[in-house]
Amino acid sequence: MTLTQYFRLVDTQARFALKADAARFFLGYVWWVLEPLLFVGVFYFVFNVVLDANRADFLVFLMCGKLPFVWYSKTVSNSANAIIGNAGLIGKIDIPKTMFPMVRVHEGLYRQIAVFLLLFVVLILYDYPVTWLWLWVLPLAFVQYLMIVCCSLLGAMLVCFLRDFILLIGLAMIFLMFTSGIFWDPRMLDDPAMTEMILTWNPLAFILDGYRQVLMFQQSPDIGLLLINGCVFGVITLIVAKIMNKNSQLLALKALS
Amino acid sequence: MSDARVMLELQKVSLSFQARKEAFSQGTHHVLQDVDLKLCEGETLGIIGKNGSGKTTILRLMAGIFGPTSGRIVRAKGVSSALLTIGLGFRGDLSGRDNAVLSGMLQGLSRRQAEAYLEEILDFSELGDSFDEPVKTYSSGMRARLGFTTALITHVDILLVDEVLSVGDAHFKKKAEKAMKERIIGEQTVVFVSHSDAQIASLCDRVVWLNDAVVAGEGEVDQVLSEYQSYVSSMGN
Repeated sequence: MTLTQYFRLVDTQARFALKADAARFFLGYVWWVLEPLLFVGVFYFVFNVVLDANRADFLVFLMCGKLPFVWYSKTVSNSANAIIGNAGLIGKIDIPKTMFPMVRVHEGLYRQIAVFLLLFVVLILYDYPVTWLWLWVLPLAFVQYLMIVCCSLLGAMLVCFLRDFILLIGLAMIFLMFTSGIFWDPRMLDDPAMTEMILTWNPLAFILDGYRQVLMFQQSPDIGLLLINGCVFGVITLIVAKIMNKNSQLLALKALS
Repeated sequence: MSDARVMLELQKVSLSFQARKEAFSQGTHHVLQDVDLKLCEGETLGIIGKNGSGKTTILRLMAGIFGPTSGRIVRAKGVSSALLTIGLGFRGDLSGRDNAVLSGMLQGLSRRQAEAYLEEILDFSELGDSFDEPVKTYSSGMRARLGFTTALITHVDILLVDEVLSVGDAHFKKKAEKAMKERIIGEQTVVFVSHSDAQIASLCDRVVWLNDAVVAGEGEVDQVLSEYQSYVSSMGN
């Protein structure tokens, strides 16, 4: 299978899945933006209405962090059972096992395009200036995509070997939700060393902060760190994909037994 | 058959796997043990045996879906194979049409090529308007029709057929058997798993009988079938 064939298949399966998914619900495609908005609504209620977030721009601040985070966490969680959940097809045909989580990744990607458009509309409604710096969203989103691919492939593979990983992945998503500066600002911490540490060592916190800097504060992100993150996740993805391809038959046996 | 080209050869192939019985403990299952088998070009090989004897597993090994735990599988250069099974592999939430396109693409067709087969599939499967309904609303007979028909469009060197002729109503079964016969009479190399002795007798050149993970008999269709039948009737007593 060539790479073009591979990505065509991923694309077709993701589109078909989205179409079928939309048909399941009365509100159909509206859920693409409604669901992330409700996530934001819940967080806004808790952290701004119940607790006082103490910043005027909290809604936009929250959306810039929460919407991309939901993209990451939902995709990685959905991908966890992508291989074991497709046992029927795996027992029928020898196809690369990376394809199953990749289909889930692309389902998430296509939804996220709509979500980003919604975010831009909200920013414009709140009078944030549209500048050329907004184009930084593209490389930031690309690095986030690599991060999502990397974690999704790794998760789906590990779950195939040991189902227990599904529980750990769920826990990891909660941990990341609290530590990635979604409803709090890593730049407002009392200890600047802590800010530095979180933005350097938590790639998700770095990316979310990057969106905010670009969209809300007209600041370009740390290019060096963005490149490093892109390279690290790109390389790990290639290694995991290679391991999965090499052990394709073993993964099939694990998924079916 | 002895002078025909060997397409696929299993040499002392075993397959076992670990499956969890309860927390902290795993059991080992031996699905196949030391199986030797040759498949020659143009022949139709039947595989018989009771449930759980390893029939489906041997097809999956031949299709390259599983790898052997020990032993070797030698494939002639450039030989492609595909496994045809019923029902499994469909996405219940997608329509029959979308599933047919995906099946074609998974077998290596481009989307356009896969779509070009749609009319033929719709026509042969006789699904009518249901073709555009989600597969989860299908009866098992309708699934079998869709499964058989999408499988029929594959053009591969070795066709591995797992029970595809065993479901569906009498009318469709007859039609499917006829279509399968046409493929088999041609140059197609086929491995055929079935519970129906009559189908094996009418379609196969040679039969392998699997019992409890090992080859219990191999050779002429009539001979192996009668050995198998006397074993089955002895089990019943």
